[in-house]
Amino acid sequence: MSNLNSMTTVFEKLTDLKNIFKFGERIVPVIQSLIEFMRDIVPLLENINLSIADSTRKIPQAANQIQNVTSATELATTEILDLVDEITNILTGIESQAVDFFKDINERVSSYEKLKEMFKDNEEVLSLVEKISPSKAAELQKTNILENIAKIKADSYQITLSLQVQDITAQQLASVNHLIESVHSKLSSLIQDIDHADLNADIKGIVMETPEGVVFDPNASYSNKEERQKEIDVLVNQSIKTTQEEVDNLFK
Amino acid sequence: MSLKFLVVDDSLTMRRIVVNSLKNLGYSEFVEAADGQEALTKLDSDRTINFVITDWNMPVLSGLELTKGIRGNADFANVPILMVTTRGVKEDIIEALQAKVSNYIIKPFTPQVLKEKIDQILSAQSN
Repeated sequence: MSNLNSMTTVFEKLTDLKNIFKFGERIVPVIQSLIEFMRDIVPLLENINLSIADSTRKIPQAANQIQNVTSATELATTEILDLVDEITNILTGIESQAVDFFKDINERVSSYEKLKEMFKDNEEVLSLVEKISPSKAAELQKTNILENIAKIKADSYQITLSLQVQDITAQQLASVNHLIESVHSKLSSLIQDIDHADLNADIKGIVMETPEGVVFDPNASYSNKEERQKEIDVLVNQSIKTTQEEVDNLFK
Repeated sequence: MSLKFLVVDDSLTMRRIVVNSLKNLGYSEFVEAADGQEALTKLDSDRTINFVITDWNMPVLSGLELTKGIRGNADFANVPILMVTTRGVKEDIIEALQAKVSNYIIKPFTPQVLKEKIDQILSAQSN
C-alpha cells in the first residue's frame, strides 16, 4: 500500500514537472521578447538621461539671460527717465522764455498802439508802424505755443508713468527665474539619483547665478483697470469704517 | 504743514516715478530708501520725515515689516504710511490694513489716485 502511495506521489510530481516544462515553453518567448525590449529601451533611457542632463546644463544659462534682460531693461528705463527729465526741464525753460517773450510782445503792441494814436493824422508814419508792429496773431500764437508746451510736458510725464511696467515685468521675470531655479534643482537631484558618475560631476559643477534677496510678487501684472483700485478702496474704506466704529464704541 | 516724504522701493525706477509724481503734485522734500531696513534707519536719523510711501516686496525688510516697525516705535508711530504695491489679493490688503497702513494703492498707479490717497490720509489726520 505504501509503495502504491509513493508511486502515486512520483507520478503527481512528474505531472507537475511536465506542466512546468509546458509553461516554460510558453514563457521562454515572452522572456526573450522582454530581453529584446530591454535591449532596445536601455539606449532610449540613456538618451533621455543625456537629454535631461543637457537641459539641466542649459537652464542656468536661460536664468542668467532672463536676469540680463531685467538688468538691461532697468538700465534702459533709467536712461529714458533721464531723457524725459531733461526734456521736461528744457520745456520748463522754453515755457518760461515764451511767457517772457509774449509779455514783451504785448508791451510792444501796446507801445505801437500809442504810436498810432500819436501819429493818427500821419499816413506815412501809420503805414510804417503797421509794418513793424508785431503780428495781431501773436496772442493766438502765444496760446498755441503754451498749450503745445503743456501737452508735451503732460505726454512726457505720461511716459514716466508708463515706465512702471519695468518694475512689474522685473517681478514677473524674477518669478519665472524662481520657477526655473526650482526645475533646475529637481532635475539636478534626479540626475544625481541616476548612477552616472561623469554626468553627475558635470551637472554638480553648474551653479545658477541668480541674485540673492530678490523679492517679487508672482501675480504682478500691468493693467490700467481702475476696477482693481476701486475694489481695494472698498476694502480700505470698510476697514477705516470698522476701526472708527470700534473707537466710537469705546467712548459709549 | 509741509510734507517730507520717505519713498521706499527696491526699484530705482519706481522711486524716481513716485518722486516725479510728487513733484508734479507740488511737493518738494523727499528722502529715498531701497528697503525697509534703510527706511527705518532714515526715519530714525531724520525726524522731519512725516509721510512714508512704501512698496511691499523688498529685500532685507519688506514694506509690511516696515509698517509694523514704524507702528511699533513710539517715536514715529503716527507717521502716515501709504502702501504702493503690485499685490492686489484681498488677503494681502487685509494683512496690510491690520498692520495699520494708512491707505493702499495698486501698481501701476495714476497721479490722480496718488493725490486722492495723500489728500484722504491728510484729511483723516487733521480730523
